[in-house]
Order: sequence, then C-alpha cells, then structure tokens
Amino acid sequence: MMEEVVFIYYDVLPALMRGLVVSIKLIIPSALLGLIIGIIAGALRVYGNPLLKRCADLYVILFRGFPLVVQLFIWYFALPHIGIYLTPFTASVLGFTLCSGAYHSEYIRGAFLSIKRGQMQAARALGFSKLSMIYHVVFPQAFRRALPGCGNEIIYLIKYSSLAYMVTCIELTGEGKIIASESFKYTEVFMIIGAVYLILTSIASWGLHRVERRLEIPGFSAFSM
Amino acid sequence: MTGQQTVPVLSAEGLTKRYGDKTVLNRATVSINQGDLKVLIGPSGAGKSTLLQCINYLVTPDEGHVWLDGKEVNPLRKKALYRFRQHVGMIFQDFNLFDHLTALDNVSIALVRVKGFSREAAQQRAMTELDRVGLKAHSHQYPSQLSGGQKQRVSIARALAMDPTVMLLDEPTSALDPELITEVLAVIGDLRKNGMTMLMSTHQISFASEMADEFIFMEKGVIVETGPPQKILVNAECERTQQFCAKINEIYGTSF
Repeated sequence: MMEEVVFIYYDVLPALMRGLVVSIKLIIPSALLGLIIGIIAGALRVYGNPLLKRCADLYVILFRGFPLVVQLFIWYFALPHIGIYLTPFTASVLGFTLCSGAYHSEYIRGAFLSIKRGQMQAARALGFSKLSMIYHVVFPQAFRRALPGCGNEIIYLIKYSSLAYMVTCIELTGEGKIIASESFKYTEVFMIIGAVYLILTSIASWGLHRVERRLEIPGFSAFSM
Repeated sequence: MTGQQTVPVLSAEGLTKRYGDKTVLNRATVSINQGDLKVLIGPSGAGKSTLLQCINYLVTPDEGHVWLDGKEVNPLRKKALYRFRQHVGMIFQDFNLFDHLTALDNVSIALVRVKGFSREAAQQRAMTELDRVGLKAHSHQYPSQLSGGQKQRVSIARALAMDPTVMLLDEPTSALDPELITEVLAVIGDLRKNGMTMLMSTHQISFASEMADEFIFMEKGVIVETGPPQKILVNAECERTQQFCAKINEIYGTSF
C-alpha cells in the first residue's frame, strides 16, 4: 500500500502535471482559434458569395470527413515530404483547430439560419450594409443560439486533445502511457488520467454555462423562436 | 401652364416583380407628394407588400424605377442604396424588432451603426422617439417583454429616429389583437397630423378612409384603381373594386 502511494506521489503525479500543462497549452489556443474559424466558415456558408460558400463547404467536408488521427499524421508526417516541418505541438494545434472549426461552423451555420428573416429586412430597411447587419444584428443572436453546441465541441476537443501523443506531442495521455508501460500499473495511471479529464471537462462546462448565463436575454433562448 | 410642378417626394414607375412565371407585381406606378397619406387596399396576395418592398429595394424588382425627391435610385450602387433606405422608414406587419436588444437599443442601434452618432447622442434621440410613441417607461425592456402594440410602437420610433423623408407601412396593425390596434393607429394618426409623408397598406378601412388622401386598390399584382377614399369605397369605377368594397362595407358597416 505504502509503495503504491509513494509511486503515485513521486512518479505519477509529477509526470501527469507535466502532461497536464502541455494539454492545457494545446486545448486553449485550439478552442479559441477553432471557434473563430468556425464562426468565419459558418458565416461564409450562409452569407458568402457562391465561390466562398463552396470553399467553406469543401473545408467542412474535408475536415469533418477525415479521421482526426489521419489529419494529425498528415500535418506531422506527410508535410515534411513537401518541405514543411511542423513541431509536434504546432501540428497538433493546427489539426485540432481545423477539425474543431469544421464542427463549430455547423453549429454557427444552424444558428445563423434560425434568425428570423424579418429582422434582416428591418436592418436593411434602416440602411445597414450586409456586413454590418450580420455583425451587429444577426451574429449577436446567432452566437447565443450556437453556444450550447459550440460548448459541446469544446468539451469534445478537451478529450480529443489526447490524440496529440500520436504525433509525439507528449501531453497528459502521452505521459500516462509512458509511465504506465514502464511500471505496468495501467489501471491506477489511467484511472487518474480519466479523473483529470473529467475535472477539465467539468471546469469547462461550468465556465460555458456561466458564459451562457451572462449572455442571457429575457425571452431569447435556443427554444424561444 | 400656370404653376411650377411639385416634385413628388417618392415615386415609383413600372415596378414589376416575377417569381418564376408568376408575376406578383405588374407595372405598378405610384407617387406620393409631401405630407400625403396614400393607402393600399386589396385582398391578400394582391401584391401590396411586394410593392412596398420593391420601393426600397428590399425585394429587387425585375423592372421599374424609383425616385426620391426627384433623384433616381440606382440599386447597383450599394452606398447610395443604403443612404436612400435611411430616408425611407419602413414598418412591418410583424414588427421585426431586434430580439437581443432593449427597446432603447432597438431605436438607437441604427443611429450608431448606420448614421455614426455617438452612443450618448443616439440614446438621447432614441429616448425622445420612445417618448413620442408613449414608451419612455419601457425603454429598458426587451421585445419579449412588450405587447404587440408596444412592439409596433417601438418599431415606429426606430423608423422615426432616422428622420425619414417618407414612411412605408406594411399592414402595421394586422398582427395585433383588436384592443392593441387603436394604440398603434393613434400613433400613425399623430404622424399624419404632423405632416409625415406615408404609403400604407392596411385592412383598417374606417381609419384609412378618415385619414387617407387617396386609396390605391390592388389586385393580382396590378393597381386597378386610385382615387379619394369616398369615391373608391362608394363609387368605384371598376367592377372588381366595387366587389371588394362591398365586402368591406358588409364587414365594417357603411359608416363612411
């Protein structure tokens, strides 16, 4: 028993802390950049001219269609063949961002489509340009409607960030795998890792919920159309 | 050739709109002079809304021209089109308030984002307009917290804040409960008394016949007949107009 505690305290925790820091460094930029790309792609898919719309559609088809691991392998292992070398960290953030953005764009697109046409007519009748109308009238409403879906995607991102170790970016899961295979204590190590992800996702959903509450407007929710 | 001809505030000529092979608006021509209230009447689907929406190019007509103060509107020049729309206030049947903004912000947002007012100046102006429609006390409520009549009055305040040269009202009371209609009609009546130039479609015939300078009867996308309200209602020349007005008299009584 004592041996277990010593093992966990001196070997597992420091390694997992190291991994956790890397995981967080992967998750935060990927979540933010992914959301931004998702908003842009989602807006283009609804309001873009035919060419931009096609480009954004193609982006979503590709990045939702390819398995994420394959995307990471392409960024990290295939790009060097055309002379582009990414660090494991950069390749991971790039992979997560682009994959996440494709999913976000779908939530954002749906939210844009849910805004009543009449409000856009009213905005145009007041002399708004199309871009200003989208930015000041439609987006603030669409974003609120998209938030639950986008939050879901961010929670999901936290968990699929564990794929980074496949391209040698040693984050939480990667550190765990190393230490577990050295010590053969798979159960203990991965139970702890699972709990850490659970804590991360709980913090994220608490935070997202707070944002939702903060942005709440009387009578305006995903359910009052 | 005595007097100088006054230029109509707003005129539209030959406006035509087709969807596929269905013509919903067929060579409609209207002109409105300063201070006029002209009222579009006619059955649903007659093209009244389409006509109003073609006038400020919310719906792009397939043919036809629009002039504001004698200057032709070119819908291909976006900046000029946006400027033109600022001068043409529009009121919709479904109010179309911005759901995420308070009454005050609904009225002030276009002042800030379109006209470039400072936030303070815009809010001050918005407050004045809300006061004018009797909603000063509701300035911080969201659309979902307002009644239909209040929403429509906010939307009128929103249009007025832009200092429109002319207003287009598309069945402003059709989505309202009977007891809310009067409060909106009272506001429109006030506008009329203050000399606002308006083109309105409505089914509120008795109000319209009291207030309007001219009735324009439309059917199947065509302007069938125009004339003073009394003439259209009682002595219409076209058979179709007579039939429509007989129906109206049947429903609302012949109190005009």
